[in-house]
Amino acid sequence: MATATSFPELPLFDLRLEPQDLDAVAETLRSGWLTLGPRTAAFEEAFAEQLGARHAIALSSCTAALHLGYLAAGVGPGDEVIVPAFTFAATAAAVLYCGATPVFAEISSREVPSIDPQDVERLITSRTKAVCAVHYAGYAAPVDQLKVLCDSHDIALIEDVAHAPSATLKGRKLGTWGQSGAFSFFSNKVLSVGEGGLLCTDDDDVAAFVRSRRSHAMTSGTWDRHSGRTDTYDVVALGFNYRLDEPRAALLLSRLARLEREIARRRELTIRYRELLSSVEGIIVPFSGDDIAGSSCYVIPIMLERDGTQGEVSAELRERGIQTSIFYPAIHRFSAYRERFPTLSLPVTELAARTELTLPFYPHMTHEDQDRVVTALHEVVRP
Amino acid sequence: MSEWRVALTDVTVSEEDVQAVLECLASGWLTMGPRTVAFEQALSDYVGSAHAVTVSSGTAALHLACLAAGIGPGDEVIVPAFTFVASAAAPRYVGAEPVLCDVRSPLDFNIDPDDVARRITPRTKAVIAVHFCGYAADVHALRALCDAHGLQLIEDCAQAIGARLPGGEQRVGTVGELGAFSFFSKKQLCVGEGGMVATDDEALAMRVRLLRSHALTSSTWDRHRGHDPVYDITDIGFNFRLDEPRAALGLSRIGRLEDSIDARRATVRAYRERLSGLSGLELPFDDDAVERSSHFAFPVLLADRETRDRFRAQLKDDGIQTTWYPALHSFTEYRGSTPSGGLPQALASAERHCALPLSSTMSEDEVDIVAEAVTGFLS
Repeated sequence: MATATSFPELPLFDLRLEPQDLDAVAETLRSGWLTLGPRTAAFEEAFAEQLGARHAIALSSCTAALHLGYLAAGVGPGDEVIVPAFTFAATAAAVLYCGATPVFAEISSREVPSIDPQDVERLITSRTKAVCAVHYAGYAAPVDQLKVLCDSHDIALIEDVAHAPSATLKGRKLGTWGQSGAFSFFSNKVLSVGEGGLLCTDDDDVAAFVRSRRSHAMTSGTWDRHSGRTDTYDVVALGFNYRLDEPRAALLLSRLARLEREIARRRELTIRYRELLSSVEGIIVPFSGDDIAGSSCYVIPIMLERDGTQGEVSAELRERGIQTSIFYPAIHRFSAYRERFPTLSLPVTELAARTELTLPFYPHMTHEDQDRVVTALHEVVRP
Repeated sequence: MSEWRVALTDVTVSEEDVQAVLECLASGWLTMGPRTVAFEQALSDYVGSAHAVTVSSGTAALHLACLAAGIGPGDEVIVPAFTFVASAAAPRYVGAEPVLCDVRSPLDFNIDPDDVARRITPRTKAVIAVHFCGYAADVHALRALCDAHGLQLIEDCAQAIGARLPGGEQRVGTVGELGAFSFFSKKQLCVGEGGMVATDDEALAMRVRLLRSHALTSSTWDRHRGHDPVYDITDIGFNFRLDEPRAALGLSRIGRLEDSIDARRATVRAYRERLSGLSGLELPFDDDAVERSSHFAFPVLLADRETRDRFRAQLKDDGIQTTWYPALHSFTEYRGSTPSGGLPQALASAERHCALPLSSTMSEDEVDIVAEAVTGFLS
């Protein structure tokens, strides 16, 4: 039986790097050039090409990408940004960084836990500056509908693509539907590096803005000065240090080459998981089999039909050596957000948050381990 | 990689450092975990603070130091005008206004406590003391001033890890309520991008820890180890986390930091021996300050901006990379922040100085090359 602090036999995620990844980092470290330089540029170019976006700007995190994405859309004090509450807090926190107000929209259902375009439409006011669509678990939010809606109201669509690198909707890569797309390379992500993020955009002005603000709005970088291109610099705005560094860029570049293969493996395992899970009574498996081909298959979320059992099911799985997580507690129910939005009610989101469990999943997961998780679910979920 | 005969600085990563990073990558655990904890312990031991909290950059360290210090909208924070721009950006991130103050002189180009005193208003909440280029600012005088006025003192140690205060062994970053450090790639202790907040105050340390990771009440590592998967978010935090590979690199390198600073100091002494007494060139700070400095950069002073620019152009022609720091109020973004009467010492410091190549691995030959080029220009 697991004790209070022990490592799970079947962890939520398990990252494995290949020898060539380590070689790429070692080579970078030995070069002695660690800040934004040729490797970051090479990674940005490769990522943009794979995505089919005009620009890709590497950043320190997805939170940073969302912050700069909102700022580039002109979000500032007094503005509103419509976001889902069934997402990680960064989606909303980055709105607050800009001095603006997040306005929380419902998700469609527990079966389709993506932002509901009809609710978004109801929430648009004269102060709405942008809408952020989160591609939850790697599955496309309805950005096709949201794009039409945003265009007709002349507001920016920002995509939170933290879960969904290389995922698609109608054959078009996620992140390329909106004005910009914010990606995460956090350690448990599909393309992970430790801490890291990226913003993609087809808009030259947005790209120039983000490149400037990621490094204190300085008109030249250390690499430019090292390579003799320029001697000094001006500071033209309030910027940040949202830079990625070269060792992480090298690791990303190395791993990017395997991304499609790893996602293909994730899809196979997801299809198998879904088949097995279909026999478990008392759970909802969000999305449908048809969605898998376009998904990056980041995680395996399930929803417990019986409200109020999330804690005990999670604890009983834990006793069987199986780690689960909640993707996600509703943002507006956290203390910091209750203070700001004390009366907000989002019943569908709240039910999803109260009943969701995310199961162990990683590309090298064995069939035996999948079977073990599902067997345990049969034992502990009460229909 | 560069065409420079002598580059401004050089980062040398040892095989031991490389192995430490590779071991971490091979472990598969890349977000804040045991290596971050160990690096923080080593940092607090080295700096001499009760707590050290790693963050994503020196800028993030200053930002969280400002938040932890309770600085907010409507407040003023006094910042020297001769510094890197992050020192003034940090108060702005929290809605406060940076009030630029002067430095003592080009020969002692750190924040001037007398000028700080003149700029204190009822709205002043804090002073950010920058230990520029590795030389300790007069934080003892500033501490007394801040205490007398009920102000917080934040030390910007981005360029000065390991520097010591006058009359003892105490290191910078331990006099203010909070000290902000940088591990950016050119720094004495570098990991690529990274930073750290040092403090003796447990409540401030906890606040910085909370805010660096979205004010989540438990971390991914905690949950991996079996803590309850349920967490709360108690404030509006950020993602200012350092990751494990960078912590591993920092931990490997910190053991050599003191030797590396000694090597920088030896180079500075060699420079000063070669360059002192030259007509048309002045060397900031005295021998005592040199002994205590951790030597991020080696600035020399020319007669005026025009001479300095010609000097830099000549050195560039000789294959020697140099740099200089503009004063904040000469940037487009801060032009409007110039107080009446200007900031003459900060401006003169910026316009007259030129930072010569300096690294922990610089050879005597390289010092000779630079010294000869300097002498050649002046004769």
